Amino acid sequence: MATKPGDYAIIEGIQSEMRVNKYLTMFWQNRPTAVSPAGKIIDLGKEFGSIRVPLYTAIDEEWYVGACAGMALSGVPAIAHTPFMCPARFFDLVFNQIGKLRYMTGGQASMPLVIWQDGVGRVPGLAAQHGDAGQEALFAALPGLKVVVPSNPYDAKGLMIAAIRDPDPVVFYDYFATNAVLVDVPDDAYEVKIGEAKLIQEGSDITLVGYGPAMVEITKALPGLKSAGIKAEVIDPRSIKPLPIDPIIASVKKTGKLLAVDHGHETLCSVTEIIARCAIAGAGARFARLAFPDAPSPGSKEMITWMTPDAPKIVAAAKKMLAI
Amino acid sequence: MNTDPSSKVPQTQQGLNRRRFMQAIGGIAGGVAILAGTTHSAKAGNSWDEALERLPNDRLLDMYTKMLKSRWWEEGIKDAFLAGTDQLYGACHLYVGEEAVAGGVIGALNDDDLIVSNHRGHGHLINKGGDLNKMSAEIFFKQGGYNKGYGGSMHITDISKGILGMNGIVGPSHLLAAGAAYGIKVRGTQQVAVGFGGDGSVNNGWFYSALRNAALYKLPFISVIENNGYQVDIPATETISVRDLSSIGKGLNIPSHTVDGQDIFAVYSVAEEAVQRARRGEGPTLIEAKTYRFYDHGGMAHAKSGVLGAFGLPYRSDRELMAWIANDPLPKFKALLISLGVIDEKKAQALQVEIKQQVHASIEFARKSPVPTPEQGLSNVYAQGAVHASQMLA
Repeated sequence: MATKPGDYAIIEGIQSEMRVNKYLTMFWQNRPTAVSPAGKIIDLGKEFGSIRVPLYTAIDEEWYVGACAGMALSGVPAIAHTPFMCPARFFDLVFNQIGKLRYMTGGQASMPLVIWQDGVGRVPGLAAQHGDAGQEALFAALPGLKVVVPSNPYDAKGLMIAAIRDPDPVVFYDYFATNAVLVDVPDDAYEVKIGEAKLIQEGSDITLVGYGPAMVEITKALPGLKSAGIKAEVIDPRSIKPLPIDPIIASVKKTGKLLAVDHGHETLCSVTEIIARCAIAGAGARFARLAFPDAPSPGSKEMITWMTPDAPKIVAAAKKMLAI
Repeated sequence: MNTDPSSKVPQTQQGLNRRRFMQAIGGIAGGVAILAGTTHSAKAGNSWDEALERLPNDRLLDMYTKMLKSRWWEEGIKDAFLAGTDQLYGACHLYVGEEAVAGGVIGALNDDDLIVSNHRGHGHLINKGGDLNKMSAEIFFKQGGYNKGYGGSMHITDISKGILGMNGIVGPSHLLAAGAAYGIKVRGTQQVAVGFGGDGSVNNGWFYSALRNAALYKLPFISVIENNGYQVDIPATETISVRDLSSIGKGLNIPSHTVDGQDIFAVYSVAEEAVQRARRGEGPTLIEAKTYRFYDHGGMAHAKSGVLGAFGLPYRSDRELMAWIANDPLPKFKALLISLGVIDEKKAQALQVEIKQQVHASIEFARKSPVPTPEQGLSNVYAQGAVHASQMLA
């Protein structure tokens, strides 16, 4: 086993599924290639041909998200890889078609498709249109979809494979911050079950949860938490829908405190649902939410760095909750 | 040949809306002669006899039977809504008057070809082999309905028959069908996918996305615009700058035709050619069929039991409606079949009686079918399991 960048791990997963499923088709606006650190190149277009992997797709997300829906309706599974600056351009197709057609047809319409949505996250220099985060919450608010947000290349590959094999539509929201996380990624195909959380670290003082880039920052905060004497329990839910809430409620009942971190905008960001469900379940805990403000991303690094929930702010927030 | 339909209509007899409407739909006064004179309509309305030569009598009779079924099923549903005894509710967009379009297009398809329909799709379904019992039960929102009561009139679907569904949103039918056509290319079969939409369905990005990419990838896709002249109650002249909507395809090098949508053979003729092109891998075709709905956009406003057409609607004139009813595709088709000796008056009558009985039986089936249990509202969201009931209900 070796560490692999997230984009390589995902493409490796798609490659193995395309080899098994001879109709699986993928649309992307770039040439779908990836290079491993050892120099191994995967070129999906070359391997599977220009029908299953059109080498370039027009800047027309409505086209290929809609096309994937039409293909899925007729039994052809498909992946739409949509670029980071346009997660909402095809939104009505997801809202009114992809998420609803199985239900509206009384279960007749299967929808085996994956929307692989790139997310940039809170990166300086790109400004609000190219550098936003948290829009997975928009999709999670819609019925009929599954929504996953990996925080490392291992989960990314396993969740992508699970998403491809799922007969329901899955929004696979992958942030650039997860790309560089160093974890071993097996070469062979494996699934990370959708709707299953991962316990990152056991602890008794406070529970920390977050998705994607927020989990990357929580992981970076672990040494700081430890040196402050905080025994943090860290859970990566990985899926927003279905939400694996039971282990989180159990953890919060144990620690009595939940710090929920999100790089999305504060109002209705994904972790808000986690807080709500823990509160409704009677966890009787103290809750805090550390999210990006209800403002677009600024381009300047001074502003965006101050506004983004990063590792130092996570440590500071945990200390505050524990009155340290 | 005169290509300006408005010049053929006596101006003095028209209100403003009517004049605009006649400009939009080509004008019944000009009839087939005008339609034949529109651009790029090589076979439209003037050489359907060629197609007729290739259609054996049993196929003609089948097409006529389906047209009758479509008409009398919808009339039966209309009567059930108007009677009120079944307490029917929900949307219902009647296709009455437009039946020659579905008949001509789907008459040119094979059983395994795919269609994506719109909100006004009962006729598409019946022509593709839709089961009247299951359709009626869906109008009644019963368990025996095609969609088990989840959908209703606007969403009837039968994937097993290549009916990828009616659809309540205007525009995506073309896009979903183009996607299905892409899937056909992936599977490498000889199927064709057809998307149906009205004149209102061309005024959005999804329609153009479908056309652009179908042309780019040479997809086996046919886009059928059923131009009934009105987007709900707004004349097409108010929603788009071109009169012949087939002209939209020209800039993308898509073979595009405008046909007389009241003439099943004019429609069949261009559809058959489009299907052959698609099966040969030569790409999409755009077909605009000029037609007219005899009733209101949706619902039963001004409809009466035993009367064909909704008179007295505020946005169109009764004279306009009368002109189109005079060009009703059904008696036209019957007269042709009688003249060809495919059927005689007596047999035609017997067929109509038989179909009305089937319609009646389907409504009886719907009445007897059980209603869904309330808790079924939580199922079929995903392939497996059910979503949770609200916390306060659980």
